[in-house]
Amino acid sequence: MTSDPFARVVIPIASVDDARKTARAVGHRIAGAKGTGIFVSVVEKAGGAPDKASVEQREQWAEEAFEVVRNEIDDSVAIETAIHYGTDVAATIVRTAHQYDANAIAFTPRGGSRWVKLLTGDVTNSLVATSDLPVVVLPDTETDGCPSDSS
Amino acid sequence: MPVRFVMSGGEQELARDLGFLEAYTIGLGTMIGAGIFVLPSIAAEQAGPASMLAFLGGGLVSLLAALSLSELATGMPKAGGSYYYVNRALGPLFGSIVGWGMWAGLTFASAFYMIGFGQYLLPGLGGYVPLLTGWGETGITVVALSMAALLTGVNYYGVKETGALQNVIVLSLVALIVAFLGLGLLSGPTIGEFNPQGWPAVAATVGTVYVSFIGFEVIATSAEEIENPSRNLPLAMFAAVVTPTLMYVGVMFVSTGILSVEALAASRIPVADVATAFLGPVGALLMIVGAVLATVSSANASILSAARVNFAMGRDGVLIEWLNDVHTQFRTPYRSITATGILTLVLIAVGVGIGTLAEVASFMYLVTYALVHVAVIVMRRASPREYDPAFRIPDPLFPIAPILGVLACLAILVRMRWTVQAIGLVIVVAGIAWYLSYARSRSPSGSLVGEAIAPRPAMMANGEGIEGEPYRVIVPVANPNTERDLIRMAAASAHANDGPAEIVAVNVIEVPQQTSLAQDLAFEEERVERQRELLDAARDVAADLDVGLRTRAIAGRNVGTAILDVIEEESADQVLLGWKGFRSRREHVLGSTIDPVVGRAGCDTTLATFGSREDQEPEDVVVLAGEGPHAPVATRRATEHADAANGDVSLTMFNVQEPVEGDDGSAPEETPAERGAAAIDDLAETAGLAPGDYERRVAVAGNVESTILDVVDEYDAVYVGATGTGSVSQAVFGSLPERIGETADGTVVMARGPDESPVSIREAVVRRLES
Repeated sequence: MTSDPFARVVIPIASVDDARKTARAVGHRIAGAKGTGIFVSVVEKAGGAPDKASVEQREQWAEEAFEVVRNEIDDSVAIETAIHYGTDVAATIVRTAHQYDANAIAFTPRGGSRWVKLLTGDVTNSLVATSDLPVVVLPDTETDGCPSDSS
Repeated sequence: MPVRFVMSGGEQELARDLGFLEAYTIGLGTMIGAGIFVLPSIAAEQAGPASMLAFLGGGLVSLLAALSLSELATGMPKAGGSYYYVNRALGPLFGSIVGWGMWAGLTFASAFYMIGFGQYLLPGLGGYVPLLTGWGETGITVVALSMAALLTGVNYYGVKETGALQNVIVLSLVALIVAFLGLGLLSGPTIGEFNPQGWPAVAATVGTVYVSFIGFEVIATSAEEIENPSRNLPLAMFAAVVTPTLMYVGVMFVSTGILSVEALAASRIPVADVATAFLGPVGALLMIVGAVLATVSSANASILSAARVNFAMGRDGVLIEWLNDVHTQFRTPYRSITATGILTLVLIAVGVGIGTLAEVASFMYLVTYALVHVAVIVMRRASPREYDPAFRIPDPLFPIAPILGVLACLAILVRMRWTVQAIGLVIVVAGIAWYLSYARSRSPSGSLVGEAIAPRPAMMANGEGIEGEPYRVIVPVANPNTERDLIRMAAASAHANDGPAEIVAVNVIEVPQQTSLAQDLAFEEERVERQRELLDAARDVAADLDVGLRTRAIAGRNVGTAILDVIEEESADQVLLGWKGFRSRREHVLGSTIDPVVGRAGCDTTLATFGSREDQEPEDVVVLAGEGPHAPVATRRATEHADAANGDVSLTMFNVQEPVEGDDGSAPEETPAERGAAAIDDLAETAGLAPGDYERRVAVAGNVESTILDVVDEYDAVYVGATGTGSVSQAVFGSLPERIGETADGTVVMARGPDESPVSIREAVVRRLES
């Protein structure tokens, strides 16, 4: 059993933009490890309170994001996609990763101000804090190599 | 604290997380809103103590609506609620009317709730907090505007709300009102002249107070998320109507019994003023807090419901899709929420008066429910095969209840004030105008009214005669080159099953959502012609092979969905699809057509590619005898196809084992080769193969995938079972089968058993009926 995190990696996707960014950052790494990337979109449920958007709408949206992933990533790379549901996005991602026997979870940070995170839930933070699997933070390739302080 | 992994079976995939209690509290949360806190003064002014009967009337009208909605919601569990049912049953004209009507109704209701909030916050809480006194009408408007803006923001940014908080709010409100009722009744209310304004005024008051009954619709719009909907949905709806009705009637009784009609009518915060009389200032303060919570929670739910109506309208082409964009960061339908928020702000600012806001919202919902009753009758009469509600209006009540429902709604509508009727009719006319100018050319004219008026001869009722059903293989055909091979394979499966069997060849003409039907007419002829040729060819092949075949020509918005519908309607045992065996950048292997079928079909699913060996029967067949859950299905397919072949076919079961690593010290109990052979025998037994029917082949190699790819090349045909369990074909079949499909030049067949995860309520219902 190889220990390369990208041999079998779960990659949570939050949106179409995020899918594009993440796919670019992760595609060659999975290819390098001859691994499988499992792209997961979590439909957040409020568990009793009304959801912000209908489940159907968000499923449709997740499929759009997967479509972007499939277009971005080279055809020779093995990828799978899956929609999962849960009240706690981070916990659902970790559970999903176990379900797929993943070596690691990889994602690109989503940005957003501290206030926004405080109000809408900081998935990045709780994922890093609660995961019992290695978590890989992918560099944002669009800004790779041009750090903001040099501009 | 690390998140521990708990194996939860297949529950992971479930989107349904609302039990009876959650569904009930969601309904109750929107029902016990501003209505009960604000309306007593308006109602008392209009009809005196008899207005309690107006609330009772509203409850009865809602119960009738709940009956029809329960049937429609379990029959068509789709986002959009009433709008969706009416659009489906009566077509996009009425769909536009109801869609716009519900949206308008929800925004008028939100504005009404927000002004109620302002009244309780300023003049109400002003009695306790000096800062809040003396702001007058302007103050109320400003507070209402601010709160509406805040709520819009909360939903725009997707601020997390939890079910727990929702339950706490609802339970506190129920406790408050129960306390109000109990103590109020004990204090001995005395009713004066019961019905000072006469019965017509009571009837008109039903129209005014009906706004406090629109909340239970939320339960229908959440149908796709409710567990065990045949029981929980109608039960939650009835409970969510009956509980508040009793409370409203009680509150009206206590209020009119304790304060005079004049005092009530003059009050901005009627429930708090009544509470002062027997609970003192503390009781009144509690009521004010309750009213503040209730108005906010109701308005919040209304804004979110409006977004769902918008989404459903966009999906059907009745509204511009632009509005339904989901925010990339907040994952909310932000444009729709913003639009609803802005309309709400405008309505508050215009200042039409709190009573008018309530009445217009009521008007729109009464129109909606009248059409919902018509829709349920139409659905029953037309009885499209996919309409199979888990809950049906019980026989003695059908069609009396829906008919009574329509009449009741109409009776209240004609009694309402003419200004309200005028505003309501303007909105209805706007809906019609929108249909004529926009939706007519974009939305499929799928009205079932015609079917309802002249139903086709009744087809076999679902759930009957399943025992004697033939083994049925659905074969979607699109490519004349592979058509013959597919039908031959289907025939092999059909022959292998004892008893009657039948093949259904299907071809779907896809009419894209973006294209209007009118635009599409130009191409229609050519495509229909092609469809006819394909299906004719299918019949010829079947005649050659001497196998029963039916054909179905379908025009639909989406090929995948259409095929899934056919699978359900025909109670299929297997669906057999051809694919190209490779994927290109633009055209994914299992593209959007096959994905949903493979992910969701409730029957055996087989994908076949014929490589360069079109129209040849394979001689050397290999089954990948791995440990996947669907390997037995793949083995069975291989056997069926081998048995049906004309010549001799050799069947090999192939298993790969990783070499045992030497560093764990202990000697392995069995060698990898023995393990592989045992796995093959187990699998053959599961699939019902006799020991002499197959050859075993085991390889011991480090790289499983490349070994398989090498071995597979030696055979004419490869059978492989699905490995994954996701809802998309790639996840279902895993990456290996696809790799084989790309490299092998022989026949590749992927197989899996029925999808076990309950993807939609409809499928679950169908399956339940089949068992």
